[in-house]
Amino acid sequence: MTAREEQLEAWMIAGLDGDAAAQTALLSALVPMLRGFYRRRIAGAGEDIEDLIQETLIAVHTRRSTYDRDRPVTAWLYAIARHRLIDYVRARKPVVPLEAVLSNLVDDGFEDAATAGADLDRMLAMLPTKQARAIRQTRLEGLSVPEAATASGLGESDVKVSVHRGLKTLAARILGS
Amino acid sequence: MKLTTEDLILALAADLKPVSRYAVLERLGTGVLMGILVTTVLVVTVLGVRPDLPVAVYGIPFWMKWTYTMSLGTAAIFAVSRLARPDSRSLMMLWMLSVPMLALAGCAAHELANTPLDHWRTLWMGNSWTSCPRVVLGLSVPIFLGLLWSFRRFAPNRLRAAGALSGLASGAWAATVYGLHCPEPSALFVLTWYSLGILLAAALGAVLGPYVLRW
Repeated sequence: MTAREEQLEAWMIAGLDGDAAAQTALLSALVPMLRGFYRRRIAGAGEDIEDLIQETLIAVHTRRSTYDRDRPVTAWLYAIARHRLIDYVRARKPVVPLEAVLSNLVDDGFEDAATAGADLDRMLAMLPTKQARAIRQTRLEGLSVPEAATASGLGESDVKVSVHRGLKTLAARILGS
Repeated sequence: MKLTTEDLILALAADLKPVSRYAVLERLGTGVLMGILVTTVLVVTVLGVRPDLPVAVYGIPFWMKWTYTMSLGTAAIFAVSRLARPDSRSLMMLWMLSVPMLALAGCAAHELANTPLDHWRTLWMGNSWTSCPRVVLGLSVPIFLGLLWSFRRFAPNRLRAAGALSGLASGAWAATVYGLHCPEPSALFVLTWYSLGILLAAALGAVLGPYVLRW
């Protein structure tokens, strides 16, 4: 066991026993560790990384009873960090088979092609405004669903449903034409 | 204004309560007991306790049922306590769930061997086979909700497995409480219809797990 691991474990256990100073030391020591962990896995997005760090600290703190004192503390900490990361990735890029059609078009440089932007605009124009805007926000501008919901003043499920319906319509048209 | 990370850490650590070594099991126990309490009230007020309960508690069938459902419920809760932690460990201990099932299957075989063939159907179907599984499923709902409350402080990584085992535990404890109402005495009946109700609860838990256990 490394010295750092030993130190983290000592803080963790003292924190579990109610020592606030140890808990503060633990959470503070986690900040640079988590920053390194998330930076290596997510390109750019400095703001997002700070949000992820805060969310992870909250999870580590409120769910600390799930740490088993007989097991390595870093494995537990990184398991939580990894879970938050997966949740973050999923929230930003929902994977739904039906939507693969359009997202492939976007991912494969379709958007970059000279005429693509115009084509995309024309296709989105065929949809009701709400659906077009939801797709534009979440798929082209890279907003998360909660962000898109706030930006357009809709509920999150409303945004999701709009994206889903819109993509379904588009997919049907592309495959049908 | 946005909370700085330093402020967040101070705010979190400020309100620090000691956490017991057995906090996960304690919280699971509390959640299950709250659910069992609601389910018991439902059984007593809506279904009614079987009229012969004071006599039945001296009989073997009553305890056979309770031993079966309680041992399933206990094993499932221990499995859930493992899935509550993010660094998942092996679920090899799930073989323990087969022990009560095999034991009850032995009882059922013994029962069949001692019953004339034309009574087998009664032994199997009893009087309530149509309602038993869905009543067990329905009674498991409050216990499942109790477990969801427990999970608010947990960090599960395998949400579907955690949902399935939570459903199984809810079903098994619901079946235990249902034993206060249900007068069916045969092991074959319990093995089939109680288990079906418990499995339905586990299946529902597996479906819901990824949605309701997200954190």
